Amino acid sequence: MKRGSSLKMALLLAASLAALLIGVGIGSVYVSPGDILAMIANRLFRTPLPEGLPPSYATMVLDMRLPRVLLAFTTGAALALGGTVMQSVLQNPLASPFGLGVSAGAGLGAATVIVLGLAGAGLGVFLLPAVSLACALGTVFLVVVIAARLDRGMSNVTIILVGMVLSLFCSAVMDLMATSSPTYSQRIQLWQLGSFSMKEWSAVWVLAPVTILGLVFFWGFSRELDVMTFGEEQARAMGVDLMKVKRLLLAAVAALTGAAVAFVGIIGFVDLVAPHIVRRWFGAAHRRVLPASALFGGSLLVLCDLAARTLTPPHEIPIGSITALIGAPFFLYVFFAGRKGR
Amino acid sequence: MLRIGHLSCGYGGPPVVRDVSFRVREGERLCILGPNGCGKTTLLRALAGLLPSQGVMEMGGEDLRALPTRRRAQKLALMSQLSPAAFDYSVYEAVMLGRYAHQRGGLLSGESEADRKAVEDSLQLTGTWELRDRLVTQLSGGQLQRVFLARTFAQDPQAVLLDEPTNHLDLRYQVELIDILRTWSSTPGRCVVGVLHDINLALAFADTVLLLDHGSVLACEPMDRFDLAMLDGLYGMDVRDYMKTTLQRWS
Repeated sequence: MKRGSSLKMALLLAASLAALLIGVGIGSVYVSPGDILAMIANRLFRTPLPEGLPPSYATMVLDMRLPRVLLAFTTGAALALGGTVMQSVLQNPLASPFGLGVSAGAGLGAATVIVLGLAGAGLGVFLLPAVSLACALGTVFLVVVIAARLDRGMSNVTIILVGMVLSLFCSAVMDLMATSSPTYSQRIQLWQLGSFSMKEWSAVWVLAPVTILGLVFFWGFSRELDVMTFGEEQARAMGVDLMKVKRLLLAAVAALTGAAVAFVGIIGFVDLVAPHIVRRWFGAAHRRVLPASALFGGSLLVLCDLAARTLTPPHEIPIGSITALIGAPFFLYVFFAGRKGR
Repeated sequence: MLRIGHLSCGYGGPPVVRDVSFRVREGERLCILGPNGCGKTTLLRALAGLLPSQGVMEMGGEDLRALPTRRRAQKLALMSQLSPAAFDYSVYEAVMLGRYAHQRGGLLSGESEADRKAVEDSLQLTGTWELRDRLVTQLSGGQLQRVFLARTFAQDPQAVLLDEPTNHLDLRYQVELIDILRTWSSTPGRCVVGVLHDINLALAFADTVLLLDHGSVLACEPMDRFDLAMLDGLYGMDVRDYMKTTLQRWS
């Protein structure tokens, strides 16, 4: 059984690399995987480029497509990790970091920056993600504080309920802002749909380390997460310091997914679907599910972004709709295929 | 080995369980009996450390409340009612989770030889060794509850608390579960404190009975000195007569 899962993990890793190469290679002009690797080697180690490769390609591939694809990958990985941890902590297959108020909080922050006219200016490039991350964290903090006040044991139902109430409230305020300032309403709406266009390396440099740190952090809690899926009281009786672990994990999920959402907007479905599919392939043990979710979520979002920018040129389809368009049938396929095998 | 003195606990309002004292000796199986709402489950949850409580709660002379969660779990395990498994763990993995309290934090420490031995012994004792590679989501209720029992044993506690573990099980599985628990508790240094819904099953399993009435101890007697007539007042009906009439059907 163990050997089988390392083989599967190797396959998934190979598939992820393939997804990255395909994502970078396909676009207005096709660039072969060999050429992509040669260009990366050229930039890093000054090795010579193959004959007949226009120098402008290097700029396109290395400064436009590669950061975009890597950003999509890290975002997908971060969202999938957040979803995995939330589903296990709250023992709810439908739980998601967005239900905690991450997306609504981030949206409210982003809308505020946009309506105040501060987005887009020189400082705005970082002001918008910074403010929306702060608002995402603030909202989750409020959810946890209120839940703890209402119910000393901070049970899952309370958390889910409070998260939903605060999310709806934040969304309502955001809608109010959008409708009362028509000049910016389209911008707010576009931000909410999420996008990887016009993103530079800087976003990757911030998000990639955060995601890797998140993966390592959650991986260290694999056993606690395993135990917690069997119920809160049982977990406590089995020796898990539940309140401490729960708070730590919720905070980490908020920070990780909040950072992702702050840079690219609200992209749903990956966080919900990736953990379920991965559990089908790897079983439920978190030491396997966490890294596999990150790889799968990353690859899925790279392919979704590829579809978003190539299906209807020159227009882009909002990435959030693509994830649901591709994700939903795939989700059903994996589940029905799994059921037949039983 | 377990000493409870003047224990009171509840859910924030007036205490549900008041001034309860009893001792459990090594090898003893104590069953708590009483009608719905008498505080059986509340008392058990307090013993398991899931509810705040006042009074003495000692095991082997150590104050249970002062122990960190992990140390406490090395001494005391809880076996609950059957609840469905939602995630695809293999039986072996699920039982290995019982070793949590004995493993050092972090993943790098891995599973020790002692962990594997404890898991194998528990699987053998509960008759679930053959199921070890199956997924817990694909087991019947009776099988799953035996797997959870194996996980409880893998925790290697000195005392097991039973919170109506036989509920929702067919008769055969109920009897099996109780037999396995009896075998487990016969090893020196172990005891069981339990709430079993079925009075007949409880009387067959226990060697001491604790009667709980409106949150207070009505009686705490060894089986051989226990007067069954006390059940009539406690449950508000003629329990003995009911048992006799219903059992006559089988003769």
